Amino acid sequence: MDAKLKKELIQTFSERLSQAAKMYLENCSRCGLCIEACHAYASSPETRYTAVARAQNIRRIYEEYFKKGKIAKKLNEAVEFSDHWMEKVYETAYTCTGCRRCMTYCPFGIDTGVIQGIAKMLLITADMEPKTLEMLADMSIAKGKTIEKTKENFATAAKNLEKEVLERWRSEGGEEVVPLDVQDANVLYVALAGKHSIIPAAAIMNAAGEKWSLSYFEAVNFGAFVGNPAKTKEIAGRIIDEAKRLNIKEVVICECGTAYRVMKHMTGEKPFGVITLVELIARYLEQGRIKLDKSKLPGKVTYHDPCQIARQGGIYEEPRYVLNHLTDHFVEMTPNRQANWCCGGGGGLVAMGEKDFRMKSAKVKAEQVKATGAEVLCTACENCHTQLSDLNEHYGLGVKVEYLSDLTAKALVQD
Amino acid sequence: MVNQIFYVITVPMVYLAVAWCLVGIAVKVARVVKAPAHPFTLKVFPDKDHPVPSAVWGALSMPTVRRHNPTLWVFLILFHLGVVLLILAHLDLMPWFNIYPADSPNMIGNGAVGVVVTAAILYFLLRRFASPLREISVPADYLLLFLLFCIAMSGDIISWANSWSENGFVLTKQDFGGYLNGLFHFSWDDPAATIDGGHYVVLVTHVFLANLFLMVLPFSKIMHTFFAIPLNKLRRG
Repeated sequence: MDAKLKKELIQTFSERLSQAAKMYLENCSRCGLCIEACHAYASSPETRYTAVARAQNIRRIYEEYFKKGKIAKKLNEAVEFSDHWMEKVYETAYTCTGCRRCMTYCPFGIDTGVIQGIAKMLLITADMEPKTLEMLADMSIAKGKTIEKTKENFATAAKNLEKEVLERWRSEGGEEVVPLDVQDANVLYVALAGKHSIIPAAAIMNAAGEKWSLSYFEAVNFGAFVGNPAKTKEIAGRIIDEAKRLNIKEVVICECGTAYRVMKHMTGEKPFGVITLVELIARYLEQGRIKLDKSKLPGKVTYHDPCQIARQGGIYEEPRYVLNHLTDHFVEMTPNRQANWCCGGGGGLVAMGEKDFRMKSAKVKAEQVKATGAEVLCTACENCHTQLSDLNEHYGLGVKVEYLSDLTAKALVQD
Repeated sequence: MVNQIFYVITVPMVYLAVAWCLVGIAVKVARVVKAPAHPFTLKVFPDKDHPVPSAVWGALSMPTVRRHNPTLWVFLILFHLGVVLLILAHLDLMPWFNIYPADSPNMIGNGAVGVVVTAAILYFLLRRFASPLREISVPADYLLLFLLFCIAMSGDIISWANSWSENGFVLTKQDFGGYLNGLFHFSWDDPAATIDGGHYVVLVTHVFLANLFLMVLPFSKIMHTFFAIPLNKLRRG
């Protein structure tokens, strides 16, 4: 590794040293409590898959460049930047899903996500980040810049979804089935690229008589996956600008955990509220704006708490409230809520492929699902859905993996 | 020559170590305070209604350790409570600080506190030799615990094993109190003038190791003493 790159890496590292990062890097007592917290270690007990080992890969660099004393460096196993060590940095960044379950074990609450964030920025500086994620992030940004040119195509595509939305909910004549550019709407719904993310939500919002508008932009934030704060902000900024332009009351994020966390917690104060689609559905049920038919969902149903909306967002009870309107046969996973095992697909791993690692590192999740005896495995995050579907196939779990919104839309009772 | 070394250890080095430690802590804390705040919340849900008291309680009672490793929790609580009691016990050596009666020959806890702390340190040290903890430990982890173990052991010899002699304490609480009081009032007196005998070398060893510990503290993970509450606050929003 040449001196110039080393200098750039040190600069990158120093720019990431917030109060929290410094405290996380300096105070770990390596008590080892977090070892048992990680699904990857629980599935494949290799030390490198523990939160503390991942953090040590970064902490040892910190010892070298940001702490003084030759003896202290030796005793803390400080390491210099090198091509070999950057492989370790990569391991820190991309064997962790950012589920932050380890935070609930650590006596200090050290956030591996923050340390992982440093690792991801170091990789970007060294041009070692996963190019798939970088490309997807750039595509999102490019779309924001050329949106006026593509609006017409998007409107046509939205129009083409109408038939399938109407199959779920027969709207009144004259009402827009998938409305766009609705000024002063109550809801700006931000979907993913794919009709599966639009049709159920559209049917539900139409059934509730909501004044809503579909965002031109997809919710997913590949900037967050690749760990680039500037791109993360730029991608989220497209939606924020759109919501401001339309004078929206609430931005509703589809079933995408990372998109929700970024929009809710990582992009500062906004002149509108941010909620998940699950919260919106629960609200409609509470207000009696939609009714559901329990006979549409036979068999035992279980729910996987997506880390990014549950542990990182506090959305624990709303999905259970919705499920209790969908079925009398809901069974909890053990553990659940804050202690739920991560599905193993977050942090960009699903987008990157990485199927071998994802399957190996999520064995514990598969066992947890199997133990419920459920026939339907329901969740509220696209990443989790993809990963759980892969686990279902890989481990022969024999469950049907469903989105909560889809189950809701299929059970809507038409008056 | 030996007497001179003993004097340097028991008087000037103590001042140096304390000053070094206080300045080191201040610099370390200032560096963290001066760093920019993290750009977004790091809390873990569900939300806590009272994040500050909750963080204080979390840092002091370590509920996550109790939940996930009760054995470690018991030793951690014993160790930390023991350290607090030992700090009080050292202050109590001063003639003007009377938790135990001034004429009592014993420190607070009659030596038992130190033994409990020593046992806890030994547990922390031994568990590091077992996998997977061994793989994530660095030399500093072992050395720091070893240093603490030696300080605690030499303290035990002074406060507990000292009483094993037939004539009771060879060195009394009042002897140590005189030494500490002299340090507190910057008398620069040589403690050997008032405390002498076979056990004096143990006292010098204990003080030397404690000096080392104070000098290492600002550069070690013991700084969590000052950061455990702010760290716990971060995850509580």
